Amino acid sequence: MAKLSLMFENKLMKEVPIGTRPITIGRSPDNDLPVDNLAVSNHHARVYYEGSRLVVEDLDSLNGTFVNDLRVERATLHDGDSIWIGKHHIKVDATADSVLPFESGGRKAAAPKINETMVLDTKVRRDMLQQAAAMGERSQFSPGRLKMPTLVVLSGRVDQKEFVLTNKLTVIGSSPMATVRLRGWFKPKVAAQINQRDDGYYLGTGSKIPHVNGNPIQGPVRLNDGDLIEVSGIRMNFIFRE
Amino acid sequence: MQIVSGGVTDVGRVRTNNEDSFRILEPLNLFILSDGMGGEAHGEIASSMAVETVAKYCSDQDEGTDETGVTLHGNESDHWAPETKRLRNAVYQANFNIYQSAQKHPEQRGMGATLTAGWINGAKLSIAHVGDSRAYLLRTGSLQQLTNDHSLVAEQVRRGILTPQQAEESEMQSVLLRALGAHPEVDVDIEEVDLMPRDVVLFCSDGLTRMVTEPEIAGSLQAETVPMAAAQKLVDLANERGGLDNVTVIVARLEDESKGWFSWLRRDSGKKA
Repeated sequence: MAKLSLMFENKLMKEVPIGTRPITIGRSPDNDLPVDNLAVSNHHARVYYEGSRLVVEDLDSLNGTFVNDLRVERATLHDGDSIWIGKHHIKVDATADSVLPFESGGRKAAAPKINETMVLDTKVRRDMLQQAAAMGERSQFSPGRLKMPTLVVLSGRVDQKEFVLTNKLTVIGSSPMATVRLRGWFKPKVAAQINQRDDGYYLGTGSKIPHVNGNPIQGPVRLNDGDLIEVSGIRMNFIFRE
Repeated sequence: MQIVSGGVTDVGRVRTNNEDSFRILEPLNLFILSDGMGGEAHGEIASSMAVETVAKYCSDQDEGTDETGVTLHGNESDHWAPETKRLRNAVYQANFNIYQSAQKHPEQRGMGATLTAGWINGAKLSIAHVGDSRAYLLRTGSLQQLTNDHSLVAEQVRRGILTPQQAEESEMQSVLLRALGAHPEVDVDIEEVDLMPRDVVLFCSDGLTRMVTEPEIAGSLQAETVPMAAAQKLVDLANERGGLDNVTVIVARLEDESKGWFSWLRRDSGKKA
């Protein structure tokens, strides 16, 4: 598989394989190859396959993209080329097989290599996650800042004042299985549900459509600290408790 | 509760071999799905070994049959139902079998498998899970994920380094942090969910979730109430989108069997429709 290696003064900073999607290069951290330097534009350039040709395209960057010594708008890349962006350069390794273009209908002899599942061994995993951790923690689940997701009941007939969300799934309703058990006549078995996912807690509909901060939800909504949930006659705050 | 189920597996549109395996054990209401990895035919060997081991372990009624030297770690005094613990031990066993086979046969080195299994006993669903296959619950129109992917990108999302959108576009999606067969011991996620009538439980390999969005999955499961037909429909949809990977789908639906006073009325209106 072809790859790009981001170098700074002969030091390898990052390597990415080139698959079917374009590789984006720039200062903004959402790039595949983020280059942390003020001379680099937020979205500076991208590299992608056009058929079997590997192409680099400048994205109207301020200081330009250079292949070897030439400033380029768009250029075909060859094995061993260097793309210069500010003081960084990116080595092009295209020795390995290029990605096969997909043929619709027909079956390929082999899938593109990037789709092959692999398991990281423990050491590589630790390294990669440490590196990832060094990039900064913004998550609700960050170690050291673990907060308990909690529903605080403001009004309505419920058997508790507070509910700490400990399960993958929390049911709000009159069902005996509900965590947030609604009391009273004509309450739905499942009024709403909260699903813990990788990036947070999502409120979904039950047989009622809950409101979050006064607005009815359309499909699952990620809850933020302090959100007001109203459903089936009860009002609750969703908070992360220290 | 009456449970009806169906499962479909397909090689997809790009690959030449199907490394996914699944089993539905109807009398037990046990559903097992595994996605294998490893060169040549070894992914298939790993996933079928995973599925068969779990099926056999759970259907063996005799509790004292752990003939191998597998250490059954995990706190046995914990609060999980006996079926949940049994399912977890079955996955430990499957991991050990795959690991041992790879040790004995050098050509199988590097083979591994994901495993996502669900076992419904009464109204309780027990789940055991390793890897990036998934279990979902569709209830009152909301699709909820019951498992966490053990992939690098999912871990980065949990740590707040990637957004879910970035994870979906990442080139690193196929990098797993946990799988069966990589080490002699494995961490198994377990989960228990109380089910309700009309709930639909879905098990699928990443060949579905990388091709078809969750709202589409929810829509298909609501539109097609026959489990086998729903599973086929989802597989077809993944293939229409390019079918880049093997795709396997198991659908289990809990029927409402309450014969209320008005059930004759409902039956009648069903005929008209």
